[in-house]
Order: sequence, then C-alpha cells, then structure tokens
Amino acid sequence: MNEKQGEHDEQGEHEPVERPRSSGAVERPETGTLRPGKRRILIAGAHRRIAVELISQLLEFDSVELILGVGEGACPAALINHDSRRFMYRSASLDRRRQVDDLFLFDQFRERPLDSVVHLAFAGNPKGYDVKRHEYNVNAARHLLDASLRHGVGKYVFLSSDSVYQIGPRGDYKVAEDAELDLDPSSPTTVRDIIDAEFLCRAKMDHPHCEVIVLRPAGVIGGGVLSGLNLLFESHPPVLPIGFDPMINPTSKERLARDLVLALMLHGKGLFNVAGPTTGPLSRFLEERGIVPLRVPGPTLRAANKVQRMLGQTRYHAEYQPRRLFYSLVLDDSRFAKSFRANAGLLDPP
Amino acid sequence: MRLRPDLARALLPERERVRIESYGLDDAGHGTDVFGTSTEGIGSAYAVAYWLHRYYFRVVSAGHENVPRDTAAVVVGNHSGLLPWDALMITTDVFRHTDPPRLVRFMVDFFVYRMPFLGVLFRSLGQVSGTRRNFDGLIDEGHLVGIFPEGAEALGKPVDKRYELHAFSHGHVELAARHGVPVVPFGVVGAEEQHTVITNLEPLARALDLPFIPITRTFPWFGPLGLLPKPVRYYIHYGEPLHIDPAALQSLAVREHEVARVRDAVYEQIHLGLEVRRRAEGDPVR
Repeated sequence: MNEKQGEHDEQGEHEPVERPRSSGAVERPETGTLRPGKRRILIAGAHRRIAVELISQLLEFDSVELILGVGEGACPAALINHDSRRFMYRSASLDRRRQVDDLFLFDQFRERPLDSVVHLAFAGNPKGYDVKRHEYNVNAARHLLDASLRHGVGKYVFLSSDSVYQIGPRGDYKVAEDAELDLDPSSPTTVRDIIDAEFLCRAKMDHPHCEVIVLRPAGVIGGGVLSGLNLLFESHPPVLPIGFDPMINPTSKERLARDLVLALMLHGKGLFNVAGPTTGPLSRFLEERGIVPLRVPGPTLRAANKVQRMLGQTRYHAEYQPRRLFYSLVLDDSRFAKSFRANAGLLDPP
Repeated sequence: MRLRPDLARALLPERERVRIESYGLDDAGHGTDVFGTSTEGIGSAYAVAYWLHRYYFRVVSAGHENVPRDTAAVVVGNHSGLLPWDALMITTDVFRHTDPPRLVRFMVDFFVYRMPFLGVLFRSLGQVSGTRRNFDGLIDEGHLVGIFPEGAEALGKPVDKRYELHAFSHGHVELAARHGVPVVPFGVVGAEEQHTVITNLEPLARALDLPFIPITRTFPWFGPLGLLPKPVRYYIHYGEPLHIDPAALQSLAVREHEVARVRDAVYEQIHLGLEVRRRAEGDPVR
C-alpha cells in the first residue's frame, strides 16, 4: 500500500469509520476484521519488557508507520537500535495531564495523528506503595484515555492483570471475564488501582469512535518480566505451601505481545482474558523447568517469603496475592481466541 | 495413562489396568485436563478404590445400563456415611461397569479445597468444586456430573434419620434443564450404617466453617482411626434417566415438581436397595 493510499485509509479510520446511519444507529465495524490503513501507535510504559517485545513485533509489520514509546527517564537500551524513522521515544510523567496531552501534539502527528494507544504503564510493585503511586496508576489511565478520545484515537488498549479476580476455594475451573473481582478491602492497593483504571476504561467502552479494549493477561513466565509468577519462578528456591498445587495457564512475553498486536490491528472492543496455550498444576510448570520448590506449611508462607526477600533469594511478594499459591486461577480466553486469534491471518505477513 | 506401577500391580488385575489405560483424559498440556484431573491421580485412586469396592465394601450394584455410555448426564443420589465413601464407591462402580470406562465427577463442597492435600487429591480424581460454571464446563465436555442435592450436611445424619432424605436443593434440576441432559437417580444402601452418628456439634462446626462435626461411637474417642468406616456391604441401584421438563427454567412450581420427581426416584432406588439387602442378609443389626 503506498503512502497516499495509507493516508486516505487513515483519514477513514479517524473520521467516517463509524458514521451515524440515517436512523441514528452507529455502524460499527465487525469484531475481528482488519483495521484499515497504517498505524501510528503510542505505547505508554515503554520500559516494560512486554513493551520492548511489543514494539519489536509491531515494527515487523509494514502497516505500522510510526511508534511513539513513552516512559520515564532515558530510552531503554533495548529500544535505541530501532529505526528512528519508525520509532521515537519520549520521556513524560503520565500522571501529569499536560504532559500526556503534549504527546499527541508533536510535529510528527500534526498531519497524521496517532490512531492507537497502548497503555502498559502500571506501577505494580507493592513495595513502597504510596499515594503518589496510586495517582500515577489511576491518573495516568484517566489522562491517557481522555487525551486519546479528544485527539480522535481509534483504538485504546489497556493491559490489566489477572490479579483483579477473586481467588479462593470457590473458584471456577476457568475464570471468564464476568467472574467476581477482588474487591476485598484487604486486597493489595495495587489491585484496587488496576480495577479503578479498568473501570475508567469500561466507562468509555461505548464511545462511538474509539474502540476501548482491556486485556487481562494470565501470569507471564520467562523473558525476565516482572510478573508475580515469573518472580516466583526466578526465586532460589520458590517457596510454596504444603498440600496445595494451583492450576494455572501462564502465558509468555512473546504470546502476550502477539495478543496485544492482534488487539491493536483488528477491530474489536471490550474486556478480554488472554492466557497461555496450556493448563496444568503449578508444580508441573516448575518441574518442566527443572525448578525444585521448597514447601512450607501454609500459615508460615508469608513469613518464609519475607525472610527470603531479606536474604535476597527472591523478588516475589507473597503478600501481593496471598491466595495465589493456594488456589487455582485459570483464565478462560476463548472469547479473545474466537474474536482475535482466529483472525490472525488477516495481518500482513511480517 | 501413566500409573504408579507398584500400586497398580499390587492392587489391580491386568484387565483393570488395561481399562485405566484406555480411559481418555483430555490432556491440557501438562498431564492433567483443564479441571486438574491427573492421569496418575485417577490410576492410583482406582487401584485403591477397586480394592475397597470389591473386598471392603463388597459392592452389589445393578442398573448400570441406565448410565449413558458417551453423553453428559447428571447423576443424583442420597448422601451419608460421615466421609464421602459413597461418592468414591459410585465413581468406582460406574468406572468398573461402563465400557469405555466413565468417570463420575462429583460437585464437591468448597471447604474441601481449603484443606491441604485433600483439595489437590479431590481435584486430581476429577472431583471439582460445586460452582455453576464448573458444572457447565463438565456438561459441555460430555462428562457425567455427580450431585448430592442433600448437601454435605447429610453426611452427618444421626442414627434415627437413616435413609430419610434431607430436602433437595434445586440446582441439579435447573442445570439439567438448562443443558437438556437427563438426571440419573441412584440409591446407596449401606453407607448409612458405616458410622453410628450420635450427635453433631453444630456450634463448633459453624465456628470452624465445616458442614458438621460428629460424635460417633468411635469418633473422637479413637482419634482419626475413629473415622474409619465399618466394612458394611453397599447396595447401589441406578434408576432410569429422568428427562427434566424445560419449563423448570420458567416456573418455580414446575421446578419444585421436577425436584420432587427426582427425590422420589432416588427414594425408589433406596427402597429397592433395602429390599435386595433384606432378601440377601435379613434385617441389619444396628
């Protein structure tokens, strides 16, 4: 597709994609169909390893014209070698409304504005949580979403977490998107931030011109990511409760990035779980990686984890989701698979 | 299917080992199905349960032709015996007498999954916590789902309530109607005599969030050994499948009628079992 054609399609993406019919109804593109035109994408939270992988995968597509990576501080080393004509990095404080708004006003976007936003910037580390972190988590989501809607962005993707789900002995064998949320007052503040941010997104899901999509990924294993599950796997050794072996279906950095690509490139909005291809007990995943866990009685798990952290043997926080190592959490991502993965063939081959 | 060879060889004849190996478990990638049922779990448990079924409880059963061979169904019956040996014997009995072997997956009370080892054990044997979505998932995949509509409280029935059914919950009828699957009633005779429950410490049970804490002739006086069941012979009978009126989803009156119909069918199987036992053994000594 030449640039002119791309421009034409891009215009189509912003203005007339969902024209009101004469009856007043809004014509919505079918879920799972390819978004036309070339993509100009803002990725907030560029320091995250999943962002690095996502940017790398996106740049393999000719239809991705320009990516703006946004983070705090200098550009991560893993991103500096990308083609500067297709990738740019800017530092910004996402909890500051003005700074967020300015991201959409760069010269590069004057003629052809950003059409997609991926919000990955979430401070999930429970250590040192305070009101500033809360403001960052929730206000960043609010400002980024508001700015996206004001500037005519056609797709807004928020990467949530599976930690929003209530975990316990009453759990379903597969947790669908409408499952009970962890609204317990004693749940970690970061979880509440994620739920707050999700609600902001869900409030705008009926926007006529912007497809707001929230992805709740299962724990990510491997790739050096800072997910709870991966931090557990990287512990020396992982400490688990005696007599419990939860079922999980973790994903990988590459698979999650691919799911984000699909969410960006195809039409569709709403709330979706995304998970790995296989399901099994936690102990089997450890066993397959040659990791031998240390088992302690359940009531002493948190204390053992605390000692481990003091000794530098782990970065995993058992307090973050204390039930996670006791009860199963298997995400049902069949809706995402049907709407997006089934249509992966529509993307242009890398 | 992988088996613990030592346990399987010691407790199972060759033909039963072959039956276990022929059981098709839908592997979700790591040796278990999506419900957490493991190949080794079923194999090892069947090795023990087969022995209990044949030599300890010496189960006499009939009506297996009423259990669907390859389609989903809800298997519903009476519950008793302090510990759920009846569920184990039903599962083993159906597994032994169906070809290809079928596993009855009981909906289990949540408290089981709070307990170390027990929850993992139940899950690996195909027994899942009793949530609506778990039921839906099992039925959608064509499994036999076992339900005790009396609830876990029925396990602690005192002596004077033997073979009296508690009130049935409505869930099994509603779910069967929603999925359009039949209800297979069964009656278990024998389990009610395996313990002599004198009373139930209800306040303590409530405080510990347990369905009951019984006082029996042997428990708690002999510690955990007091929970071992007497080797009472079981008589299990399966009734003809009942097709639930879909109107049970629209009308409370219809639903109550259908629940009563299932309850009556379970009663019928219990009475049949009692009659067969009376003919075989005479009246039991209590």
